Amino acid sequence: MEELSHPRSPSLGSGSPEEIIEEDTNGSSTTGNGDDHSLSQVLEDVDRFLEKLSTAGGNKGDSVEVSDSVEILSKTVESMIDQCSYQSHDSSLDSPAFFGAIDRLSRLTELLEEAPPSPATLGSLNWAGTVLQRTMLYLEDELRTILDHPNDGGCKPEPYGRLDYNNSNSNNNNTSSYKHFRFSAKYYTFNSPSGYHEPIERRPEVEATAVGGGREEEYSFPGFSPEDVLRMNKIADAMIRAGYESECCIIYSVMRRNSFKTELINLGYEIVSIEDLQRMQWDSLEGEIVSWIRIVKECTKSLFGEERKLCDSVFSGRHSNVAGRLFGGLARAVCIQFLNFAEAAVLTKRSAEKLFKFLDMYEAIRDLGCSVGCDGRTEDPEAAIEAAKAQIGKTAVGMFGELEKSIKSDNGRTPVPSGAVHPLTRYTMNYLEYACVYKETLEQVFRQHKPQHRPTAAEEAGRTEFAKQLIRVMELLDSNLEMKSRLYRDPSLRYIFLMNNGRYILQKIKGSPEIHEVMGEPWRRKRSTNLRTYHKNYQRETWYRLLQCLNHGGLSVNGKVSKTVLKERFKSFNSMFDDIHKTQTTWVVSDEQLQSELRVSISAVVTPAYRSFLGRFSQYLDPGRQSEKYIKYQPEDIESLIDELFDGNPISMSRRRT
Amino acid sequence: MPATEYQGSFLSRISIRRNQVVSMDGNHEQELEELEIFQKNISERFSDLISDDSSSSSNSASSSEPFLSIAWVRKLLDVFLCCEAEFKAVLIMGRDPSLISKPPLDRLIPELFDRAVKALDICNAVMHGIDSVRQCQKLAEIAAASLEQRPLGEGQARRAKKALAGLLSAMGIDETSGGHKSAERSWSFGRRGGGGGGVSVTKDRGSGQSRASTWGVPKNWSAAKQIQVMSANLVAPRGAEASGLAMPVYIMSIVTVFVMWALVAAIPCQEKTGLATHFQVPRQLGWAQSMVWLHEKIGEELKKKEKKGASPVGLLEEIQKMEKLGQSLLEFSDGFQYPVPEEKLDEAAAQVADLTETCRRMEDGLVPLQHQIREVFHRIVRSRTEVLDVLDHAGKSSAPSV
Repeated sequence: MEELSHPRSPSLGSGSPEEIIEEDTNGSSTTGNGDDHSLSQVLEDVDRFLEKLSTAGGNKGDSVEVSDSVEILSKTVESMIDQCSYQSHDSSLDSPAFFGAIDRLSRLTELLEEAPPSPATLGSLNWAGTVLQRTMLYLEDELRTILDHPNDGGCKPEPYGRLDYNNSNSNNNNTSSYKHFRFSAKYYTFNSPSGYHEPIERRPEVEATAVGGGREEEYSFPGFSPEDVLRMNKIADAMIRAGYESECCIIYSVMRRNSFKTELINLGYEIVSIEDLQRMQWDSLEGEIVSWIRIVKECTKSLFGEERKLCDSVFSGRHSNVAGRLFGGLARAVCIQFLNFAEAAVLTKRSAEKLFKFLDMYEAIRDLGCSVGCDGRTEDPEAAIEAAKAQIGKTAVGMFGELEKSIKSDNGRTPVPSGAVHPLTRYTMNYLEYACVYKETLEQVFRQHKPQHRPTAAEEAGRTEFAKQLIRVMELLDSNLEMKSRLYRDPSLRYIFLMNNGRYILQKIKGSPEIHEVMGEPWRRKRSTNLRTYHKNYQRETWYRLLQCLNHGGLSVNGKVSKTVLKERFKSFNSMFDDIHKTQTTWVVSDEQLQSELRVSISAVVTPAYRSFLGRFSQYLDPGRQSEKYIKYQPEDIESLIDELFDGNPISMSRRRT
Repeated sequence: MPATEYQGSFLSRISIRRNQVVSMDGNHEQELEELEIFQKNISERFSDLISDDSSSSSNSASSSEPFLSIAWVRKLLDVFLCCEAEFKAVLIMGRDPSLISKPPLDRLIPELFDRAVKALDICNAVMHGIDSVRQCQKLAEIAAASLEQRPLGEGQARRAKKALAGLLSAMGIDETSGGHKSAERSWSFGRRGGGGGGVSVTKDRGSGQSRASTWGVPKNWSAAKQIQVMSANLVAPRGAEASGLAMPVYIMSIVTVFVMWALVAAIPCQEKTGLATHFQVPRQLGWAQSMVWLHEKIGEELKKKEKKGASPVGLLEEIQKMEKLGQSLLEFSDGFQYPVPEEKLDEAAAQVADLTETCRRMEDGLVPLQHQIREVFHRIVRSRTEVLDVLDHAGKSSAPSV
């Protein structure tokens, strides 16, 4: 600031016109500031001189007579700057005459440089050049001041979300819970396999819920008033015209980069080293990713657009190429930051649960790439964005592969008690259901980033990559369940297990149009058929043996119904039925429909057979003690006992008995 | 494939050999020979980095890169990339993947990865450092362009002075006379207090400087410390391990730390106090002799700078030159009195031409250098993934947890 507050008189060449102008200057500086008339008079004089100078430029021999107006102009501009430096800054910036004077000054130096050198021209050139430099310094400073204080000029809206983020930043626990709470809809966390949680929240269709929709009205980045933008535009124009483009660009880009970064930090952006990211637990890393995604989206959605708009308004017209370059530089710097994070995240340990967060990142980066439309310069961030996208894509493919791996490696030797739905089935189906929400993105990822294509089987032809993956996982799950079913010694329970899991899978598919669509109707029908087969097999295994007891044949000995055989039949029916009842009430069929289907079908086979057996042969037993002993159940009892099966209730039988 | 296509590439030589190894299955002789070739290559590549410079006094070959120039650093990175490729060939190609998951590699590989991750942060910090150098370059260009003008008036001198003051201030050199503090400071190299920490936009207009915190790495991150941690527990394999795969892993670790150390020394980087003493190349090993020599020379430069008081901005030849010329030309512009005597003008003109040339070299070299660092970054990332994939495909659930 030294130069501004204590302006040194530029030393002039020989024939210093200092004294001569002294009075003039005094005159013009007192009138000049308030009175545009005399300034415009000076400008007219200078214009005439410029005219003369440019025509004289051709014939080199003649020395040029320097007009007094040159010195007056210089003095006038200087005093205007002095005035502004001591007082408020914007008076001269809003005066068109001021910029007119600067323009003349820069043209003067330009033409005087080309003019044949004479002591007079050299002196004037030195003088004008010095004043021009002072002026540029002044303009640069003004530009810095405006850039430094956005929101100063016009309305100063409450910055959106700032308080929230600052508060939450003060407490780490709050931060993550806040993030999770606020974005739970879109950024639902896929549960770890240990949890095997059932419900899955859907990502809402409308993304507006994720990041405040009405934000644009509340807060406007970058927050310059139209007057400030206009001033900056004039300053930039004047500086570039005077050959000070470099200075102008440096100050603009440095200040804007800082402001942009401040904005990101206000949004909650944190720079984390790659090393620290590697050390993070998934919980924390996930929080970072969620926050990162939110900020990247904010940039994509509005910040970059606003920044570009500002840049275009400050460097308008013939300076638009400057605008493109400056914005490109900033966008590149910001994008590289974002990408660094993404590439660091890729290095963390892969696991299937992380897939969906990474797909979110993938989507964010993909959209980011579209939003930084630069003007084709070498520094475009697009190549870097593509590279990062590929990295994440490959990682996502790998993570999906982790699912396959975890299915393959899930080979515990203990069967799930009661033949219930295996946690692996739940986990896999929920996973796939969730994956289907990301169908398009996954399809893109598999198509573009899957390392090597396996030779496609003929049956797979025509399917999308995603469908192939899905089918592959389903096949793996099926064979794994098949293997698990063999852990059950009781074949009936084995079929119950297969039915339970098969039913669960079918229900999931029914509930997810996406999976259904991908897997197709024939596939679903085939599974239904399988289920029916299990059902039949189960009935055969458990109930056909029991029905043997109720066979009408084989009871007669010598044409007479043998009491002994009959008693034996009733006895074995009763004990067999009790056994079945005892075991199978502890079995679980959680799907209500399947449960009732099973009971109905069992009842439909057993009850009528029992009723008819009873009707036909009960007469052969002596009424009273004998029939009470052997006819333990009435057909209605059988029916209600069958209705107790598959409740997963081990005490039902004992309760009945007591 | 015709045999000629294999020539010249170490990688393919390895691959031929590898096929033989596979067929002979576990031939230790072959393995030893491979190791020898690997070490020989490392040694040769690094001696290339010396020979150009030390023997260049008479040799006017245009290919020789001045020590620590941008071109030299780029060559250093090329060497790194080559070594890295060869290392991977030795480690992975045709090798039984289960070897990697057995001792001692099950411990050494994760350690190597750990160093690699640290190297990534250094890459980021250095990338940012190059950005600041480019900003300085722009200021130097302003100064050079305005001092080139004839007739040279006071306006030009002042313009140059302001640019140079900003330049030196950004380099962290405290300018005494008429230092015009300005926003240029805002991307100063951040060697004090970790680059000024968070974003503090100073409100007062007079000194109007706004300092940005560094992009790329957190504010309390220190390049010197990073190097120190990277070089910790670097122990040469002994006994039977010395002839096995532990050796190339060790060599690659040394190469990585050395290259990162040299990068940090050459390029402005956040916090490098004590860098000179934070890493030593083991002296007794044959393949490391060139590296030892380079390490000593760079170390000397670092110490020379540290002795002068300030911690070094960056030993990059172009930066040094820019700083020297900048200081001298600042003096010239500061004492500028119109008109200037011819001889003084000529003297300055020579320096200006030098500065212009330095700027040109920066203009030509810095962006490719950044690309190359990015490549190093990606290579490190990719190699890590590749090794992990090898482990995966081997069906080992006992993959190193990294």
